[in-house]
Amino acid sequence: MSGPQIARRALLGTALAAPFAHPSLAQATDPYVIGTLFPMSGPNAEYGTLFTNGAALAIEHARADNMLRRPMRIQAEDTQALPQQGVIGMTKLVNVDKAHYVLVGFTAVSKAVAPVADRAKTIAVNGGAVGPDLSGLSPYFWNVIPLAHLETQAFIPFLMGRNLKRIALVYVDDPLGDAILGLLRTELPKAGGELVGSFSVPRTAQQFGPVAARVRQSRPDAVYIASFGAQQAQIIKGMRDNGIRVPLVGYSALSIPTVTAMPEAEGVIFTSQKFDYTGGSEVTRRFATDFKAKYGSDPGTYNANYYNAVRLFALLAKELEAEGAEVNGENLRRTLLRVREFDLVGGKATFDDKGDMSAEIQVNEIRGGRVVPIA
Amino acid sequence: MIAYAANLATIVAIFAILAATLNFIVGYAGIFSVAHAVFFGLGAYAGAQVALLLIPDPLLACLAGAVVAGGLSLCLALPALRVRGEYFVAASMGLQMMAVTLFSEAKPLTGGIGGLVNIPRPTLFGVEVSVLPLALVALALILLATALLQRGAFGRTLQALRDAESAAEALGKNVAAAKTLAMAFACAGAGIGGALFALHLSFVNVESFTMDQSVLVMAMVIIGGTGTLWGPLVGAIILLSLPSGLAFIPFIPPTEVGAVQQIVYGLAMTLLMIFRPAGLVGDLSKGRATA
Repeated sequence: MSGPQIARRALLGTALAAPFAHPSLAQATDPYVIGTLFPMSGPNAEYGTLFTNGAALAIEHARADNMLRRPMRIQAEDTQALPQQGVIGMTKLVNVDKAHYVLVGFTAVSKAVAPVADRAKTIAVNGGAVGPDLSGLSPYFWNVIPLAHLETQAFIPFLMGRNLKRIALVYVDDPLGDAILGLLRTELPKAGGELVGSFSVPRTAQQFGPVAARVRQSRPDAVYIASFGAQQAQIIKGMRDNGIRVPLVGYSALSIPTVTAMPEAEGVIFTSQKFDYTGGSEVTRRFATDFKAKYGSDPGTYNANYYNAVRLFALLAKELEAEGAEVNGENLRRTLLRVREFDLVGGKATFDDKGDMSAEIQVNEIRGGRVVPIA
Repeated sequence: MIAYAANLATIVAIFAILAATLNFIVGYAGIFSVAHAVFFGLGAYAGAQVALLLIPDPLLACLAGAVVAGGLSLCLALPALRVRGEYFVAASMGLQMMAVTLFSEAKPLTGGIGGLVNIPRPTLFGVEVSVLPLALVALALILLATALLQRGAFGRTLQALRDAESAAEALGKNVAAAKTLAMAFACAGAGIGGALFALHLSFVNVESFTMDQSVLVMAMVIIGGTGTLWGPLVGAIILLSLPSGLAFIPFIPPTEVGAVQQIVYGLAMTLLMIFRPAGLVGDLSKGRATA
């Protein structure tokens, strides 16, 4: 065999082997891929931006602190809050982008991507949807937000203390609304209150005059709103325009700018995970200060939740790097179940066997377009 | 990458089934339904319930989807027998809106807005199978059936109804039977697509069966070429792979990714309709404004 032939074969062999050699070389230097499956267009795009801003700040902080040996980068996929787009995006993130960790929002998208996460053993983390049916979807599906029933449970003593005992519920007839309805039905009487009316509204409804009339007839002390997104703003406006003057109350979905900025939302009271941005932990204060500096506004609940989701990844990956273990779904889950408690924005957060987070709940009021903690 | 391409191909095949069956009533029979997602949904819920309650056999799920959707196609056939054109569009919109409400409220059957979760993966003779080959076979069979029906007496009757219903009736064509059968065939096909969709996603809820989905399928038919055999397939490929292809553009900031994709997507669709008004596979001489 002549020299040139050997050289040609060696060159050919090297060329063929190159694609396989590249990944092992790349693993040491390439960033950790944080996939995001958020609505970045369509009527829910506002949420996608809120979620992404929180995640992006967490990456900046991790880089500034040299928490990890490899950088992190966001790979965004637009779901339009639709399950089908979510599955397409998740499959791309898992198989093409080789995402190490995926952030998701919205109940239907979460439920659709959970089986893909399960099969691929890739961690998917929800920080936006609060339906109790999101618990236990898969060992690889975690919730970094207290689910709605926990918020409502913590809210009842506050309502009784304010003498808001007769509660009317306006709710979307979905698992979240059903869970809140069930909880108010059973827990309000135990605390000395009463559910004086429950009014189911379709998710697509935009006019609430007739509902407001029925709510008024029930003579409540407060109206609990269990909806989400822009519909909440329409419900609040519908109630106020139709003469409902009693306090409007709800859960953390009310913390979006669409709601807080509207004049009719003045005085709306809602629960959220506890975030003491002035007197809280160092992590909490730093998040609040840097968020305001970067985005020019106070952070909201969703900003904090997705900051926490990425910070959780950084903390877990740091542990794995120290162990010399590969950063993958199985090892991330193993480490989560070993460590359990993490220092996140808002304070200490604890995760149970299902990957659901529990944290302290606070009560907020919208005053002058801002969210002010009141209890 | 192969898994991603296979997933995308599965969704394209399922939507091609939907587009091909809608094309059968829109393109050949002139029945402009904007309620095709209803029958897609009926098939999905039927297929999902078979898999959840009995066995995850894809053939049984498809059969159930076809029977339920085909059987309930009378809901659409009845208004189609009484009204035409824009009046029928309004009637089908009403059906679509009513069905979304029913899907949201019939919790024992549909799981309500929360949907049906943990639908098992399809198995044939005890072996887990991918939905892709099943969807491709179903699509091929539907296209074959469409081609055969189109060339036969039934297809000519439908085209006669589309072009001049009164004239066709005067010549002795049974308008009611032809429309009802066409609707049953198209809706049964959509039901098969729905059953495959449920098995592929392992989750279904009402958000996949809204008016937006019906409009998307209609857009696939129009962009591909109404009344052509291959047009709906081309339309499904274009409308589903274009956004997926745009997702690979690397320099778009994460918060702008959706807006940029939607702008490029909308622009491409507009240009396509300007330069190919009869659709990509349609007759070039049709569809242009002549005034």
